[in-house]
Amino acid sequence: MMDAMGPAPMVLWGGLALSLVFGAVAGKSDFCIMGAVSDAAVLGDWRRVRSWALTVTVAMFGAHLLHHAGFIDLSRSVYQRPLLPWLSLLLGGAVFGVGMTIAGGCPNKNLLRLGGGSIRSLVVLVFLGLVAYMTLKGVLAPWRAGYLDTVAMDLSALGLANQSLATALTRLTGMPGQTALLVTIGVIGFCLLAAIFKDPDFRRDPGQVAAAVVLGLLVAAGWYLTGHLGYAENPDTLEDVYFATNSRTLESLSFVAPTAYSLELLMLWTDKSLHATFGIVSVIGIVLGSFVVARAQGQFHWEGFASLQDLRNHLLGAALMGFGGVTAGGCTIGQGLSGLSTLALGSMLAVAGIVAGSVATMKWLER
Amino acid sequence: MQHHKELDASGLTCPLPIIRTKKAMLGLRPGEVLRMVSTDPRAPQDIARLMAQSGDSVLRQLSENGKFVSYLRKT
Repeated sequence: MMDAMGPAPMVLWGGLALSLVFGAVAGKSDFCIMGAVSDAAVLGDWRRVRSWALTVTVAMFGAHLLHHAGFIDLSRSVYQRPLLPWLSLLLGGAVFGVGMTIAGGCPNKNLLRLGGGSIRSLVVLVFLGLVAYMTLKGVLAPWRAGYLDTVAMDLSALGLANQSLATALTRLTGMPGQTALLVTIGVIGFCLLAAIFKDPDFRRDPGQVAAAVVLGLLVAAGWYLTGHLGYAENPDTLEDVYFATNSRTLESLSFVAPTAYSLELLMLWTDKSLHATFGIVSVIGIVLGSFVVARAQGQFHWEGFASLQDLRNHLLGAALMGFGGVTAGGCTIGQGLSGLSTLALGSMLAVAGIVAGSVATMKWLER
Repeated sequence: MQHHKELDASGLTCPLPIIRTKKAMLGLRPGEVLRMVSTDPRAPQDIARLMAQSGDSVLRQLSENGKFVSYLRKT
């Protein structure tokens, strides 16, 4: 059946399936990166940070195993491009972090809440998608591309072919590329696992551990789907291309730009140059997965805005997430899971920005 | 249950209910009770952890008309 199905339908159906499972598992386990930051910053409780770190670790092992075995080429992902727009990553990340704290959740959390019946999250996602689109191609795009993205470091000038830490290790030590890759993921993986499982409370929570492992494997599955099964010869041009992705290269889960592209597809449906993509079906899959869990647990309920101030806060947060998410090249899932799984320096900068923006907003609200 | 101050965090989502509760508790004198109302299903467990961290106590937590109500005493 897999042979009979073309690469594009395989990417789309596979993307829908894996994001549906992601939505179900994330909804059931209450996986939330903003919640993890909030728990650590406000309550001093690091268990959800450990859960996030375990998800990243599993995704990193999975993605690099696929890369090492030759199934995918992570260096072709957008996260590893040799041009490092550090200002966009840091500033965009910080703006995104402020936005997700004001709006009470990142795009992933709002997709999960939408599956649980939150009309408020629907409004947040539509507004976020509009501003994200304005930042990608609209009125904010020239400003972003002209003033922020131009402040960049060209890593190729330093002899680095991409942003991977393994490539940096090769450059610094002269170690062969494959050895440097194994050493890098071995050392980082060991340190992360030791820090994660140091906490006996986390070790005694098999539900959280299992959920983090499954979510990490799903991120790796996204890379395999778009980077291997979706990489084939285009019958029209006879070139090898990545089918059904917006970035035209391999992708894994991410939700800011895909929310914007979902709106674009809905609004310009009759434009035959537009098609469904892995990112777009992922947005749908997360909502469906969350919906299934909410109905199964009897927790589905319609939810609106509590007040005008609530509406105002959520719209502001959505706008900041739309601008910040595109500028930083991804959200808590795009940069915080998929990007980090590639060990890209840029993803680390973006995540640092997101966490800094979020924590600063929490501290400001605590005054 | 008698209380000295009320915080209605209905409609607010994480992290706002917990941040507002933390601020409200700072405004209480020892022995005084805060009645906190939230619609966020995660709020009761987050509040219990906040109280454990601050040393204040949870007197009672209950569900009322689809809302989560916590009575919290400043120590």
